[in-house]
Amino acid sequence: MDLLPFFQWMGTIPLSAYFLSHTWAAPIAQVIHLVAVAVFIGALVVVDMRLLGRGLTARPLADIARDAQPWLIGAFLVLLITGTPSLTSTALKQYYSPFFWWKMEALVLAVIFTFTIRRKVILADEARLGPVWPKIVGIVSLGLWTSVTVGARLIGLMG
Amino acid sequence: MLRSVFEWMAMSESSIALREAFNVYPWLLTSHVLFTSWFAGLIIMMDLRLAGIGNLSTPFAQTQKRLFPWQMLTMGLSSITGGLLFYGDPMRFYPNFYFWLKMLMMATAGVNAIVFHMTVYERALKRVEAKLADARSWVSWDFSGLVPFEARVAGLLSLALWAGIIVTGRMIAYSALVPQWWLDLGLD
Repeated sequence: MDLLPFFQWMGTIPLSAYFLSHTWAAPIAQVIHLVAVAVFIGALVVVDMRLLGRGLTARPLADIARDAQPWLIGAFLVLLITGTPSLTSTALKQYYSPFFWWKMEALVLAVIFTFTIRRKVILADEARLGPVWPKIVGIVSLGLWTSVTVGARLIGLMG
Repeated sequence: MLRSVFEWMAMSESSIALREAFNVYPWLLTSHVLFTSWFAGLIIMMDLRLAGIGNLSTPFAQTQKRLFPWQMLTMGLSSITGGLLFYGDPMRFYPNFYFWLKMLMMATAGVNAIVFHMTVYERALKRVEAKLADARSWVSWDFSGLVPFEARVAGLLSLALWAGIIVTGRMIAYSALVPQWWLDLGLD
């Protein structure tokens, strides 16, 4: 399925027109996006580090995870909201960037992993997890989200 | 004076080599963004606790002590990559409004952290050592959301400053979207 017509259409919607004709719209969306990245990564890594036996190890895993959850989900929603106009207003540039597709593939994998396997493991009773599974989940989570970040930054730098 | 230091730096062989090396810039910037998001993320998680608005099931002293080595590690990586980005093209940053605003905010965030540590935090730790735990002491705020006013201020100030540092860091790329008086200084 060729997505080119869809990307061409995204470039023509009013939201894209607004972003292209207002000088401050794009930078404002980008800076909010980046602040949300920091909150998201913070809420992610405190739990992933805990899975790897680092950082906040004195408290039960599920407590750390429950504390981090609203920040992870809240930041993710802000990322979706601010990312949408950034995507539609530069749709063709994104379509032709290999790094955009790298980011999106990594993002789909990361989201599925985070809200299924990772969620199950971090809210589980630690005693029943054993020593190996938490480490695998922590490494995979960090790897997937790092891949999203790297792909995202390279869209603007290497096309 | 400052300008000549920047110019001298820009003319050094290593700065020119860094500037002209193929693909070094995009990878340095990408690593800088990655390390900075880890560092800022860990700082934000701690500040939310300090301000009494998040991560409340872990006592503050624990959050601070156990995240500290990772904050220092990621700050180091973020500073090295950021320093190299700067060193490779100092004259790009010299006339940049957001670069100077970012440096100012970083200095303020540093002072805020040190002042908090040397005053509110030290006093609180001494109270714990002296076992003077009463309803208003360190122990109770450490284990609850009842954070003393000074600690809350330090946490909120740090959150605002780090958000500002991320914002101004990204805005460096928009060197023309700045107040007119700055452009009138004619630093270019």
